[in-house]
Amino acid sequence: MTPYEIGLAALRASKEQGPPPRSRGVIALLEENCTVCMLCARECPDWCIEIDSHKETVPPRTERGRPRVLHRLDRFAIDFGLCMWCGICVEVCPFDALFWSPSFEHQTHEAQDLVHEREQLREWLGSVPPPPLLEGTSGT
Amino acid sequence: MTWFDRVQAARDEGFTFFDFLTAVDLEAEGFEVVLRLWDPLRHKEILLREQVPRDAPSLPTVTDLFKGAGWHERATAEMFGIAFVGHETQRLLLSEAFDGTPLRKDFVLAARVAKRWPGAKEPGESDADLQAPSRRRLQAPGTPKDWGPQ
Repeated sequence: MTPYEIGLAALRASKEQGPPPRSRGVIALLEENCTVCMLCARECPDWCIEIDSHKETVPPRTERGRPRVLHRLDRFAIDFGLCMWCGICVEVCPFDALFWSPSFEHQTHEAQDLVHEREQLREWLGSVPPPPLLEGTSGT
Repeated sequence: MTWFDRVQAARDEGFTFFDFLTAVDLEAEGFEVVLRLWDPLRHKEILLREQVPRDAPSLPTVTDLFKGAGWHERATAEMFGIAFVGHETQRLLLSEAFDGTPLRKDFVLAARVAKRWPGAKEPGESDADLQAPSRRRLQAPGTPKDWGPQ
């Protein structure tokens, strides 16, 4: 096969199979796992993650317990106009709240529409692939 | 051996493929111009480095040896303020009206000054809490203390 034919075959195969595993299309947020630790916003080299939150005091569960202070998420937004798909936020998240989704079709006509708020970031969860299987006997 | 002679010697040795030319800002020690060549037959690379002083940095052009180095020299010239003697000075990426050399380390990035760092907020805080001047805030890594909206 000539290099041209090899390339053509690869292109055809990729159209049938879709994007390869671990493709970086868009970042999804599982809000339930987010503890508002701010690590992703601080590590992001592009400053593209905006997080707002507030403190909430939870009454003690037992009679002798103490009230606890929780951080509640108010806003989580990623500006994909600034994002450079480095994935540091996904790597740094200590509680697995951020995931790569291979879905890449989120083009817009307006730059401000590239700011995805929490509702939209949650929707991307639907296209997040299951985690890869453990290697060898590590799962047993 | 001058810069030009070194590049020529490498080319004559078989490193006939020009890959890239760029520079590194060494701050007090000036700049280091880096040039990578590739030998397509032996599959070997060579990295040539030349240090130039910080005040009035200049090097002779190597576009006579590799025509493709032209774009790289133009980009390096506008980004670092290094003159390539014997080569056109027309800009490649920046507009002629642009003032400054963006890839020098002492260049202040306007976007970093104008925008508030999102990581300055502590867990449990929102934008409104940033108004309170009471506590010491975390500084964005790699930015000088007086940067950002005050």
